[in-house]
Amino acid sequence: MRILGIETSCDETSVVLLEASGGLKAPKFRVLKNLVSSQIPIHRKTGGVVPEVAAREHVGIIVPMIINVMGKLKPDLIAVTAGPGLITSLRVGVDAARILSVVKKIPLVGVNHLEGHIYANWLTTKKQELRIKNQDFFPALCLIVSGGHTELVLMKDHGKYRRIGATRDDAAGEAFDKSAKLMGLPYPGGPEIARLAAGGNPRAYEFPRPMLNSDNFDFSFSGLKTAVRVFIENHEANKSQFQDVAASIQAAIIEVLIKKTIWAAKEYKVKSVLLAGGVSANKILRQYLGEAIAVELPKTSYHIPPMEYTTDNAAMIAVAGYFHAARKKFSNPLTLEARAQWEL
Amino acid sequence: MNKIIKTKSEAETRAAAVKLAKTLKGGDIVALIGDLGAGKTVWVKGMAEGIGIQERVLSPTFVLLRCHEIKRSGIRNKELGIKQLCHVDAYRLKDALALESIGINDYLGAPDTITVIEWADRVEKLLAGKKVLKIEFGFGKKEKERIIKISNV
Repeated sequence: MRILGIETSCDETSVVLLEASGGLKAPKFRVLKNLVSSQIPIHRKTGGVVPEVAAREHVGIIVPMIINVMGKLKPDLIAVTAGPGLITSLRVGVDAARILSVVKKIPLVGVNHLEGHIYANWLTTKKQELRIKNQDFFPALCLIVSGGHTELVLMKDHGKYRRIGATRDDAAGEAFDKSAKLMGLPYPGGPEIARLAAGGNPRAYEFPRPMLNSDNFDFSFSGLKTAVRVFIENHEANKSQFQDVAASIQAAIIEVLIKKTIWAAKEYKVKSVLLAGGVSANKILRQYLGEAIAVELPKTSYHIPPMEYTTDNAAMIAVAGYFHAARKKFSNPLTLEARAQWEL
Repeated sequence: MNKIIKTKSEAETRAAAVKLAKTLKGGDIVALIGDLGAGKTVWVKGMAEGIGIQERVLSPTFVLLRCHEIKRSGIRNKELGIKQLCHVDAYRLKDALALESIGINDYLGAPDTITVIEWADRVEKLLAGKKVLKIEFGFGKKEKERIIKISNV
């Protein structure tokens, strides 16, 4: 079947046409056409996403993008991100999808954005084949890390999720972004810190690792800002240390993520670990989590989404939509609502 | 209320927020002003605790606004009619337009809602003419020290 995927939860407008087959047992996906319009250059000027600007940008380009991707073809399914996210941005995608669904009589699925990130792991590229085999895959542990989320989710089967841990304040990606801002680096801060960190010593400075040894699977990254601010103030003159600072900040964030993930994977005896979300583009996180699993849980398989599908994209939403449709779970286009705080 | 308090640690800042939250009533608006890392998140966590909210207080930076319902209201909350804490974050904003478009005025000053706004100095227009409890966070001489100025505006 051919799926039209739409994602507008934050600052990227993304529309995809995805070919899907195989059902729940042997799912296979091929991206036929994928358009992403990033607003990063616009938001760079303001140091972050400006919601009003974001929504206006979505409105202006969503229809031409859908027409471009669909061509003359009528898709068999529409999958759209219905939350969580920025409500004004979400509504643009959801309403476009609803109208198309009603007018063209195409079944509709409203997808949770976090679920979409998880399903990015089912996408393949020339460089990365599908390694997920359905037998011996569940239960899986998903570490979802992005600018707005940091969650450990236990996935017992398709569509069956249980959050076992999450941040209590700032998301990991937000910690990257705000630390970068304190260092005077441009938006988005995560990639900038990663770039600088590549040339630095991660053990140069000791930044706090809150809740590292706490008795649960929760995280807290808010305190890191204070530590970074104090550090920058005390070391104002010496900008040459920036690489070491970036590497040390990155190490502090990643160490907590990895330690809790490994611990949760052991506790719940999972068969596989999935990395998902925008921060899963961080190469050090991808590599070190993989190494930690190989050492501590050699029987557990480890999955990471292809690099190009780590950030917000409609392809992952279409994949998630396929698994809903395979289980006959559809949304009513007349009542589907954008939900800013939709929990998985 | 006009006072300046000095806290020596995160725990003390949080405790001060708990204490202050217990004096709030429905419709109150609390405006937080201070740099990254100054203690605003800690303050909101303390306020939530003081009001009786049990769920985690996530940063609303990306979604701009999160409402926390008081699930088990104590006698005090019932008497004062407080049903929720609305947590707003204007970090990414230049003006109040975006907050207005997601319906902030439904919450601001509503009799069953306490609203707390981080980076309130970025959305001054929104608060013009309203009674606001302003809380400014400054840094003390020592690393963990904070000077917190509380005033009615």
